[in-house]
Amino acid sequence: MIQVTELHKSFDAVKALQGVSFTAPDGQITGLLGPNGAGKTTTLRVLYTIIRQDRGTAQVDGYDTLTQPLQVQRSIGALPDSQGLYPRLTARENVRYYGRLHGLHGADLEARIDHLAAMLEMDDFLERRTEGFSTGQRVKVAIARALVHGPKNVLLDEPTSGLDVMSTRAMRSFIRRLKDEGQCVLFSSHIMQEVSALCDNIVILQAGRVVASGTPAELLSHTGQANLEDAFVAAIGSEEGLVRA
Amino acid sequence: MNAISRMWVVFQKEFLDNLRDRRSVFSALGSTLIGPVILLLLIVILGKSVFKEGDTTPLEIPLAGAEHAPGLVAFLEQNGAVLEPAPADPAAAVRNGDLELVVVIPPGYGDDFSSGNPATVELYVDTSRQSAMSNVERARTLLNGYSRQTGAQRLLARGINPVIITALSLETVDVSTPESQSLIFLNMMPYFIVMVVFTGGMYVIIDATAGERERGSLEPLLINPIPRREIVIGKLLASLPFAVLAVAVTLIAFGLAFNVFPIEDYLGFQLALNVNALLGIFLISFPMVLLASALQTVIVTFTRSFKEAQTYVGFLPLIPALPGLGLAFLPVKPALWMMLIPTFGQQILINQLMRGEVINTTHVVISVFATLLVSGLLIWLAIRLYERERVLFGAR
Repeated sequence: MIQVTELHKSFDAVKALQGVSFTAPDGQITGLLGPNGAGKTTTLRVLYTIIRQDRGTAQVDGYDTLTQPLQVQRSIGALPDSQGLYPRLTARENVRYYGRLHGLHGADLEARIDHLAAMLEMDDFLERRTEGFSTGQRVKVAIARALVHGPKNVLLDEPTSGLDVMSTRAMRSFIRRLKDEGQCVLFSSHIMQEVSALCDNIVILQAGRVVASGTPAELLSHTGQANLEDAFVAAIGSEEGLVRA
Repeated sequence: MNAISRMWVVFQKEFLDNLRDRRSVFSALGSTLIGPVILLLLIVILGKSVFKEGDTTPLEIPLAGAEHAPGLVAFLEQNGAVLEPAPADPAAAVRNGDLELVVVIPPGYGDDFSSGNPATVELYVDTSRQSAMSNVERARTLLNGYSRQTGAQRLLARGINPVIITALSLETVDVSTPESQSLIFLNMMPYFIVMVVFTGGMYVIIDATAGERERGSLEPLLINPIPRREIVIGKLLASLPFAVLAVAVTLIAFGLAFNVFPIEDYLGFQLALNVNALLGIFLISFPMVLLASALQTVIVTFTRSFKEAQTYVGFLPLIPALPGLGLAFLPVKPALWMMLIPTFGQQILINQLMRGEVINTTHVVISVFATLLVSGLLIWLAIRLYERERVLFGAR
């Protein structure tokens, strides 16, 4: 469960967040939707504790990101904006490093890696060095290492960007699977269709503010539009977010 | 899981990762042989010209006007000089470096000599040409010898003891030993060791910090539940084995160079560098290795890319070089305050160990603590820099 209240954050003169609030409950998929520069990545970075907000609170399972960062980090698995791997380590070694940083080790850790590899269909390249991996393979390794400790909350920053059609479909079914297992999934996207296809809750960000939020049905009735696409355009006041990646 | 085991995880990963990186390994080992090789080359190339006496080869004297001074010519030939015809323009030949010296006996020589006046003999030399000075000195000694011998004969002919004109008996006692001459070369060794200290772990630090950011793996790494100070320390520790290995290889190479290579053939004596001295130098280098890694970590934190990091960190070994090279040419007496300056104190101590001198324990203790203190401050600074949000972007 993720709770964000009145987040404000500035980078020098740029006001990235100007009062962002929302809740992402367990067992549901919450989508952060908005055009580039709306504050999606900054919000996620506050949640995974690598950026400190100027004002407001962000909590994961009741742990505060400012005062209890280690507990927050233990409770989340994150696929951040940059998904760099270590090219001289194999896929398994990349995942193992994160598992060990979470205190896992030995046979338990290896079993967990095998389980994730099977689930993400990465057995073919699990023992290969990651140098020269395709984007799809890289994302799978990045997800496996983010989830190696079995977190209750999963944060994904534009998880489908750069993926081909097959990988995108696999990613979407993987996100649904996390939801079915009871996890709290929060993911960001600038693609309206993707968010509407997956999400139980949608938070629409525009220029560092939440301009609309709720279930798809609530968004329709709130904006008085007949379909989500129009609702989205009405909420952000432009067609910026509709460009298909 | 405690702090030690988390740092151990970071250490293990960086160590393995860099062990697989050719750049890290080559950078650690490649620089190690530079010092010993340069030193051996210097000994081979310069050794003979600096230290070897030039007496063994016959002195060649280009001579003009030999017909005016048969007595002088006979004296020169008796004393082993090989006389050769002089060129038409002796001044030009010497100035151009074609000849080291030319002796010209003017036509008036015979008249002056017979009448007992000082007879002029011209010796053309170029005093700015150091390499010619040894032969010029030999020629001058020969000419002076003839002058003295002739003068003595004239005094004897007048019934006067020639000893009377020698008021002083000057004896030069040369106290330089072969070992003290060799220190000109040895004095460069401490700097070569410091250079290796700074290059040994350099790529590991750059790869683990700037490289991590450039690959985009820093952001996901920082999301793991591990305090940033432990990440910084783990990475820093991973560079130490590479640097320590580099120092060890360098010292072994120096040891082999001085004990196995036939330096005696070039210098006329053997340099001694025993195992105890090498071991002492190795231990004294340890705090410097930590200092180098800490300093590099701090600097790399400010850089935006691998290349930028490489540029800045590459300049670092030049800083300790300045006092180090100064030491090579102007040896100083070790003083307490020098031990407070990291890398400077060590270079003095290494120099002393190398000469086989007894080193002052207080100096060692102060040098070690001063260097560890500065390293500690730098590590603290690196941690503070890593705790800033900006570390992700490499901004200043």
